[in-house]
Amino acid sequence: MSTPQTLVAATALAAALSPTVGGAARLQEGEPFPDLVLPSMTDGRPMSLADFRGRKVILHVFASW
Amino acid sequence: MPGWHEATKELQADGRVTMVGIIQEQHPQRARLFMQWKQMGWPIMVDARNELGVAVVPKTILIDEHGIIRDMRPPRRGITEVAEAFASRSFEPPGVAPVAATAAPPDLRVLSEATAAGTVDAWRRYAGALVDWAGPERLGDAVEAYTRAVELEPDDGPAQFGLGVAFRRRFDSEYRHPGDFQSAVDHWGRALSIDPNQYIRRRRIQQYGPRLDKPYPFYDWVPRARADIVSRGETPWPLPVEPSGAEFARPARTFSAGDPDAPEPDRDDRIRHDARGFILARTTVVPSEAKPGATVRVHLDFRPNGAIGAHWNNEAEPMQVWVSPPVGLAVDRRSHTVENAPAATSLETRTVEFEVQVPPGAAPGTITLPAYALYNVCEGLDGTCLYRRGDFEIEIRVSGEH
Repeated sequence: MSTPQTLVAATALAAALSPTVGGAARLQEGEPFPDLVLPSMTDGRPMSLADFRGRKVILHVFASW
Repeated sequence: MPGWHEATKELQADGRVTMVGIIQEQHPQRARLFMQWKQMGWPIMVDARNELGVAVVPKTILIDEHGIIRDMRPPRRGITEVAEAFASRSFEPPGVAPVAATAAPPDLRVLSEATAAGTVDAWRRYAGALVDWAGPERLGDAVEAYTRAVELEPDDGPAQFGLGVAFRRRFDSEYRHPGDFQSAVDHWGRALSIDPNQYIRRRRIQQYGPRLDKPYPFYDWVPRARADIVSRGETPWPLPVEPSGAEFARPARTFSAGDPDAPEPDRDDRIRHDARGFILARTTVVPSEAKPGATVRVHLDFRPNGAIGAHWNNEAEPMQVWVSPPVGLAVDRRSHTVENAPAATSLETRTVEFEVQVPPGAAPGTITLPAYALYNVCEGLDGTCLYRRGDFEIEIRVSGEH
């Protein structure tokens, strides 16, 4: 039987493992954007595209060079 | 990308679209300076390890209000119309709503425990989380975890690339180990050899590499950005890691051996050698190995040896570096001068970069390039200041491929 602690651990593990295949996220039209959590450039806090749910997002993947 | 910003300013102001960025850079604060320069204030996420798995940038992706990717290749012309059409369209919610991740960093303890399974995935994920969330003091743990991953699966490109990112981060931190930069270049090269079409990996090497292999200068915009920001009365965002010579250098189509008439500063070897090792010289060669006829960029770092309290003496002539290529090996510059810091004494790392062309007929193996530096150094706080010569060798690996 699962204890609350093991459920929390299993959920955290599933969240940590879910969005990538072979270390890279899957990007495909018609599919959800992967639930990557990445550090914010300005203050390092965790950010995700899910933070913008309910809004239309124009995402730019880029480098400054 | 600034084009998208300009074309969607009204839509952004009305809240009809939100601009978000993910940057694929080793040094993310440079992107922050870029955003300040271009006066673009949208939220940016840092993906230095390319967790997203893109092969090339820039890439623009339209994502609807339900988190569904709607367009991965919006046209580059007529951006205003494209953005307006996207903002005006209402998208049906998916049958199964995507799970919205809480924007919390991964639990390092859970990921650490998951490595007990001994899988490459578990080690890679733990290592990546350490790089992103655990701070510079744990970059050694990240290197170790990534190393476990690539030992399990040497052809795991993301793990090889991430290991390079971890090594370079540690090189830029106070926790650096000798050889960290070279290790970064080695693993980026391995990652690229696994997938030669992965341009995020290719660019990471080219950023520090020779001019013949560069598509563009990378960071030549930094001085211009700073000047423009200052002229607006603002303070440019400070960069913890300043771009190095390679990151400013313009691409070249041909290699030319430079300064043929430069006088060798200590040709007769009369300056007393630095037998105590006051100054430590480290070498990084980019890329890790060269085909016959190809070029490499050599990065030399010189640091005062903290273990014996050494520091630079800046009240004397500047440091000189001389490179003595053996017959058949060409360098773009043999003589280098490094200016003194303004203070009377200092502890900074001094860097010199130059490029080397491997002879077209070179056999596979290692070519040794002798060099030396002449510098003024002091021992301890009240110790003697000396003028010394430090000799070192640069090893260039030649691959068997033509």
